Amino acid sequence: MPGLPILKIDNLSVEFSSDGEIIKAVDNISFELNKGEILGIVGESGSGKSVTALSVLRLISCSPGKISSGEIIFQKQNGEKTDLLKLPEKEMQKIRGNEISMIFQEPMTSLNPVKKCGKQVTEAILQHQKISKKEAKQKAISFFEQVLLPRPENIFNSYPFEISGGQKQRVMIAMALSCNPQILIADEPTTAIDVTVQKTILELLKNLQKDLNLSIIFITHDLAVVSEIAQKILVMFKGKIVEQGNTKEIFGSPEHPYTKSLLACRPPLNKPLSKLPVISDFLEINNNGEIKSKNSTIENILNEYSLNIEERKALQNKLYSKEPILQIKNLKTYFPVNEGIIFKSKNLIKAVDDISFDVYKGETLGLVGESGCGKTTLGRTILRLIESTSGQIIYKGKDLTMLSNKEMKALRKNIQIIFQDPYSSLNPRITIGSAIEEPMKVFGILNNFKERKNRTIEILEKVGLNESHFNRYPHEFSGGQRQRICIARALALNPEFLICDESVSALDVSVQAQVLNLFNDLKKDFGFTYIFISHDLSVVKFMSDRLIVMNNGKIEEINFAEEVYKNPKSDYTKKLINSIPKIEI
Amino acid sequence: MQFIIKRLFYGLLVLFGVVTIIFILFNILPGDPARMMLGQRADIASVNAINKDLGRDKPMLTQYFNYLNDLSPLSIHNFKNANNYWFLNDDKYSPYFKLLKISKEKVIVLKYPYMRRSYQSKKKVSEIILEALPNTIILAVVSMTFALIVGLLIGIFCAIYKDTLWDKVSLFVAVFGMSLPSFFAAIIIAWLFAFVLAHYTGLNMFGSLYSIDDFGNGKYLDLKNIILPAFTLGIRPLAIIIELTRNSLLDVLSQDYIRTARAKGLSMFKVVKNHALRNALNPVVTAFSGWLASLMAGAVFIEYIFDWKGVGVVIVNSLEKYDFPVIMGAVLVVSIMLVFINIFVDIAYAIIDPRVKLS
Repeated sequence: MPGLPILKIDNLSVEFSSDGEIIKAVDNISFELNKGEILGIVGESGSGKSVTALSVLRLISCSPGKISSGEIIFQKQNGEKTDLLKLPEKEMQKIRGNEISMIFQEPMTSLNPVKKCGKQVTEAILQHQKISKKEAKQKAISFFEQVLLPRPENIFNSYPFEISGGQKQRVMIAMALSCNPQILIADEPTTAIDVTVQKTILELLKNLQKDLNLSIIFITHDLAVVSEIAQKILVMFKGKIVEQGNTKEIFGSPEHPYTKSLLACRPPLNKPLSKLPVISDFLEINNNGEIKSKNSTIENILNEYSLNIEERKALQNKLYSKEPILQIKNLKTYFPVNEGIIFKSKNLIKAVDDISFDVYKGETLGLVGESGCGKTTLGRTILRLIESTSGQIIYKGKDLTMLSNKEMKALRKNIQIIFQDPYSSLNPRITIGSAIEEPMKVFGILNNFKERKNRTIEILEKVGLNESHFNRYPHEFSGGQRQRICIARALALNPEFLICDESVSALDVSVQAQVLNLFNDLKKDFGFTYIFISHDLSVVKFMSDRLIVMNNGKIEEINFAEEVYKNPKSDYTKKLINSIPKIEI
Repeated sequence: MQFIIKRLFYGLLVLFGVVTIIFILFNILPGDPARMMLGQRADIASVNAINKDLGRDKPMLTQYFNYLNDLSPLSIHNFKNANNYWFLNDDKYSPYFKLLKISKEKVIVLKYPYMRRSYQSKKKVSEIILEALPNTIILAVVSMTFALIVGLLIGIFCAIYKDTLWDKVSLFVAVFGMSLPSFFAAIIIAWLFAFVLAHYTGLNMFGSLYSIDDFGNGKYLDLKNIILPAFTLGIRPLAIIIELTRNSLLDVLSQDYIRTARAKGLSMFKVVKNHALRNALNPVVTAFSGWLASLMAGAVFIEYIFDWKGVGVVIVNSLEKYDFPVIMGAVLVVSIMLVFINIFVDIAYAIIDPRVKLS
């Protein structure tokens, strides 16, 4: 029963200072959260949505941020109203975890790695309630049951690294709920986990909200995710709220061009497109930083970008009439579980278990599956970054597993890989120019630095960056730009074969659309062959000609992308399709 | 448990390697021990006798096995033939304990490792080292404990009050301490506290753990003598531990799980105590163990300046006189200590961070 406002934010502004420059991360926003309501805050990274959430708990002091103005009025359980921004730190500690609690984006890093899960939960309980350790343990275990963790007793005594990502997020939720808070702030709680797990977490949050009459602030960059759970939605862009209203209104008739672009940029499952709509299709930002709408509707844009199926069919027929460029035959990659001193352990993890398929020149082959299904290992085994246990990898008639390291090195030039995390796969102390130039130097492409530099600039322009970026360091770029740099680095060697390992998973949907378009444009220009690995079926389907669904190291299904979506053969594929959040437009 | 056994096994392998290398090194070094013991004008007969006594008339490989057999606490000896090198000589091997007779002449013996005798003083090497070792261990442990406790406290303080005046002053002092050469610091400190201020501190400029009583009543424990050398020795590790604790704690404090802990409503004190410190300890343990290990080999300058009778002084003195058995023995004992410290450190890592056990 949505009722009275429990949290009221008035004219909140938060500033960050970096290098003497003041940046307004949150610019004069106001909104209300009612009792028993789920409020979704949507925006791309840097839009100020996480900062807003952290300001409510007054946790932004961790980073050099400052709340410059505004009020956050919170109604406590006893009915008393207080301005959280004026509370002394001691009082604030009683609010945190007790009345308002929070779960974070990365369950991997949000739990202390050296403390057992149970202890981290009881710690929160003991902090706020005067009960014995034994009672706290029972309470924690009952919360573990409530968040549907399997074997709660075991998990209580496990370290975070011993359980899966989804389970960690459940532990986080149990921890947040352990003191019966009134408000739960969920900051991108499902972004870092698989779609299938995301679905179960969303359902869990929805049910808990009903059972406990919680108020939830749900923060995400993906409109589709909130559409399933929130009653009210705020859209934030560059520190401002550009649109707010109830979920039906926002999805039915979005007003602001930014909201429209967010709605449109997720690859649709039911409609094949040649290109994904991006933010710049809907709005422009002029030199004064003002937003100018282009007055385009989602329908128009989607129609403009729709794909001619006949044309694609013809193209595919041509592709598949030729000899395959890469043949994988009975490939196996096993890892020993525990290596003893003298005796090798007999337990094996079968990461890639007897897989065979062909890749044709010029096609994009999608590889989809949950984390742990072996898709990344497969990608790396093909490149021999991980040695295979048995099987053949035949590239243009040569078996890669038989090649010496020297011969392999020469071939690496032709096959490049782009990794998942653009933040950690660039060395922070090397300028992006030298990062791109380096592989050329290693392979002796072009004679001197000047020629290589010119070539680097050419490539930078191809991926939408320019000459002025040559001498900059990675930290000066956003996530999307960094992924472009990683792509540029792979392009430097003129490869003909690219393996993209979850290359867009760490990016916002709006940025993801831009990078995916870039991949397709580059394919047109250079005629690449891609193996495109992702856990997101909608992304893989948009990109690929054919699709492989992987589960537990084995191939569940391999077929044309449209076919897999329309007539899924295995139950596992159906489960994957069902768990993708959908927007009804 | 399996983890510890594994480490011990590796430690044993390392020691075996060390023994072998020591043996090879000291056998290719120039210098004839018999000549060194008897002087340059000794007659051939005496030289040969001594060489035979030391087993140096045998081939190199036999010598090596003799050396191993002498060192091993479990060894095989001959108890009948006095001419055999392996003859169970009371003078060499006592105290020993016969475990098992394996043939008419041979017996397996449990004994104290025999490290030969000093060329110079003819004392057993084990006796010489045992005399010096406790002094070195005590000095090392006391100074490192001092450095660890004080260093951790100041380091944590600096991390929490980052960029305040106190933080900056402490860091400045730490950098100063790090760059101060120990022999210089030792002289200054001895002069200042045991000479200029001796009246107030009551400390001696030098002296070992035990002092000889002036009235002939034998040795007595003189604990106050350890203060100055331990302090001097602790300055540099202290400075390094401050820096490491501060930096690694600051690093940990910016982690996501610290934010989680604060969102639980924990106070800053509890966050540091329960969540940050343990994660920040790894580099400190590494530095601590490295320093402790190197101090076990003796802190030569400081032992010299404060006249502290430790292993460092023993090694330097024997080096000067080519007293090979003493050097070999000392190197061996120091390596054993290093191996054990490393095993303890590995165990400490595993306790601090449960993820270590997996890899």
